[in-house]
Amino acid sequence: MLDFALLKTTGTLTPRLGRLSLAGRRSVLTPGFIGSTSRGVVPHISQDNFQKSLGLDGVYVALEDFIEKHPQKTPPIFHLDAPASIRKFTSLPEDTLLVLGARRNPPIPSPTANTNTEISLLTSVGYRSLSCEYYAAAARKLQPDIVVGLADIPLGQEVVGAKRKDKMSDRTETWTRDIIAKQKSLGEGEHRFNIFAPILPIERDLQSWYLEHLVDDMVSKISGVAIYDAYLLDDLPEELHHLPRLSFHAPASPHELLRHISLGMDLFTIPFISSATDAGIALDFVFPPPQKPNGGSRQTLGIDMWHTEQALSVTPLGENCTCYACTKHHRAYIQHLLSAKEMLGWVLIQIHNHAVLSTFFTSVRASIEAGTFDADAAAFEAFYEPQLPEKTGQGPRVRGYQFGSEEHAKAEKKNPKAFRKLDEEIPLKVAHGQQPNKKPAMKDVIDDEALVGLVGMEDANGAMQMEDLKLEDDRTAEVKA
Amino acid sequence: MVPVPMTSSLTFELLGKCSVTKARAATLHLPHGPVPLPIFMPVATQASLKGLTPDQLEETGCRLCLNNTYHLGLKPGQATLDAIGGAHRFQSWPHNILTDSGGFQMVSLLKLAKVTEEGVRFLSPHDGSPMLLTPEHSISLQNSIGSDIIMQLDDVIATTSPDLARMKDAMERSVRWLDRCMQAHKYPEKQNLFCIIQGGLDLGLRRECTKAMVERDTPGIAIGGLSGGEAKDEYCKVVDTCTGLLPEKKPRYVMGVGYPEDLVVSVALGADMFDCVWPTRTARFGNAITARGVLNLRNAVYSEDFGPIEEGCRCVCCRPSEDGGLGITRAYIYHVTAKETAGAHLLTMHNVHYQLNLMKMVRKAILEDRYPTFVKEFFSKLYNEKSKYPVWAVNALKGVGVNLLDN
Repeated sequence: MLDFALLKTTGTLTPRLGRLSLAGRRSVLTPGFIGSTSRGVVPHISQDNFQKSLGLDGVYVALEDFIEKHPQKTPPIFHLDAPASIRKFTSLPEDTLLVLGARRNPPIPSPTANTNTEISLLTSVGYRSLSCEYYAAAARKLQPDIVVGLADIPLGQEVVGAKRKDKMSDRTETWTRDIIAKQKSLGEGEHRFNIFAPILPIERDLQSWYLEHLVDDMVSKISGVAIYDAYLLDDLPEELHHLPRLSFHAPASPHELLRHISLGMDLFTIPFISSATDAGIALDFVFPPPQKPNGGSRQTLGIDMWHTEQALSVTPLGENCTCYACTKHHRAYIQHLLSAKEMLGWVLIQIHNHAVLSTFFTSVRASIEAGTFDADAAAFEAFYEPQLPEKTGQGPRVRGYQFGSEEHAKAEKKNPKAFRKLDEEIPLKVAHGQQPNKKPAMKDVIDDEALVGLVGMEDANGAMQMEDLKLEDDRTAEVKA
Repeated sequence: MVPVPMTSSLTFELLGKCSVTKARAATLHLPHGPVPLPIFMPVATQASLKGLTPDQLEETGCRLCLNNTYHLGLKPGQATLDAIGGAHRFQSWPHNILTDSGGFQMVSLLKLAKVTEEGVRFLSPHDGSPMLLTPEHSISLQNSIGSDIIMQLDDVIATTSPDLARMKDAMERSVRWLDRCMQAHKYPEKQNLFCIIQGGLDLGLRRECTKAMVERDTPGIAIGGLSGGEAKDEYCKVVDTCTGLLPEKKPRYVMGVGYPEDLVVSVALGADMFDCVWPTRTARFGNAITARGVLNLRNAVYSEDFGPIEEGCRCVCCRPSEDGGLGITRAYIYHVTAKETAGAHLLTMHNVHYQLNLMKMVRKAILEDRYPTFVKEFFSKLYNEKSKYPVWAVNALKGVGVNLLDN
């Protein structure tokens, strides 16, 4: 069974130290974070790199990433006949804690509302409904370590009426009871998952029935709580305080993360790690901050690696950082990879960004232990800019399951056009790797890699007479010298 | 003008020859360590092998990969390469690098480039300003890159071009450009310049070119201008003709070749080195190379296939977890391909490993003098019946004493 030991706590709404342990898995020290996966991988991190370079104790996996074929067909993953099939399917190491939830983090709002028995979610082929029964059965079959109970949260709604809030609480209670019943029905010797009950992002009195029943009937069956609004931690009933708190309240910045920690949050999923990576931003902050030089302006929280000023820098992304990216590579290479749109750029930044957060949490725990957390957090606030830097460069291709349906309505393209037709009257030949004997249609397809950086050239006045051009020999000669 | 023979910074150690075909096994000692021949070299176009870290590339067994001079000249540019101290340091790759001359990329953009005796004129893809790539520029760039093997700038035209006069011009110009490259080459003691035999599909031109190139005595010799859509029979004739005229003690590199059956046949015709972007590109489209052919794992039939990408494969993806691997299944590749970049990384590792392992088996078979048997087994696995064997392969192999259709 999952064990959560509170190592240090000084009352409600204060930071606390804990250790989450489960037989066979690495124990997770809290405050800490687990990786957020997409289709079974931390974005950009293949499974071998996950083992070698990421150093994560746990991951969060969303069921909606695996059930495209539902309900027309049984999704492939349910055909995998193996213990802990989701771990096996995604090649997650044995000792990594696996948390399963229904939705990605953060979830894309669905246009269809949840019903009494179903929640609406987004698969890579569109919106689907998932019944609480199906969810419980999936948890049994896939055997994650922790299952986050379904929560009825109307996403993307600015204002939620009181009646709807009532309904949220009622449904969430029913669904929580259902998953507990499922867990109870598990046979002797069958893998037991641990349940984290959702705490809704609404005021305490509007979910009072649910919370009361949670305390009265269910508290012994659940192993933790999932928090959707960190600022309502105040409302958490005393009787649930011994349980680990897993946050689905996405912090916008490290500062907000510190605020959540200061309220007593234990375990985080941090979407800004991957979004910074996709934006080409290498996180650059330490806790507590370095001594502030007198009168200096605030330090940025990340380095925009698209900036050409990095192009000649042979320093690592982070001073003193011991991650794979920093011990092996320098900024100049990573800047090049981004501007050349080579996938490795995002791989290296992602490794680094996870390392920055790991170090951050280690220091946060030390600071809580030493009793200096409040002062350190204040110094952090004063030292760094309040927000992560704006994205300036392009990210990797955006996939359909990464944006909501309202985005589809927008006129602009989600991804810029990569290739255009070159003038057709001159067939392009001598291309690497074409299949002349196989597909006639592919015969003159130009090597895309040969064209990298060359798209858009037809606008550069292709009809220009080459002979009449003045060659910039001097310039090339200069480069040569 | 025939310049003095160049200094070489490689040793070609011939270890075995097939007693039937022209296949050879050797070890090529390069400035950044020895590599086994025959060899397949994956292409890290822009100083990165399609999402793989240098450690992951090393894990596939690769010790010699390609970079493209043209791309590195544009990005990060010569000044950066000089400042950082070359491509090895730039990409943290401790093993060998081969760079092409950049001419190939110019010419894949015929419309945008014009070849004169001076060099190749083209418009800068950055700002549309006119640029000139001469043999001297190309070598200077490759000197800055610091690759272990550098290629001469050659005048590449499509082998399928019907214009024999232009072809002859290009061939002769390539020889003249080699002389200029040799003159311009600053570091023969640490970088090996390879000449490139041109001449299209005309065997007479190829012979003439081979003779002229061999006289220049470069450390290695490439056969260029192929893999451009010509018929495979013609391709084989050119390789066979050229290798027949080449000195035994030098590595022979056929540029742009990479399908498994092409590799196996070309080795039988006496070639040692190959490169191609196909294995890594096709991986990004979800195609897995296996001994039984290429599988498109984006096909729904694989969605519930929980076997490894290829049974028995020793790559990090296919090896089961009990064996230190990842135990990645076809169904999982189906699940992530084209949706997460990691899917491309996984298949890229498998495909590169497949190609390198194929060459390892080829080498072993040559050393044990059973290459003809190996070739027959290879084809029978790839095509389940003899009637499906490609005619060009049957003919080419017959020419070097292996009858695929024999029992």
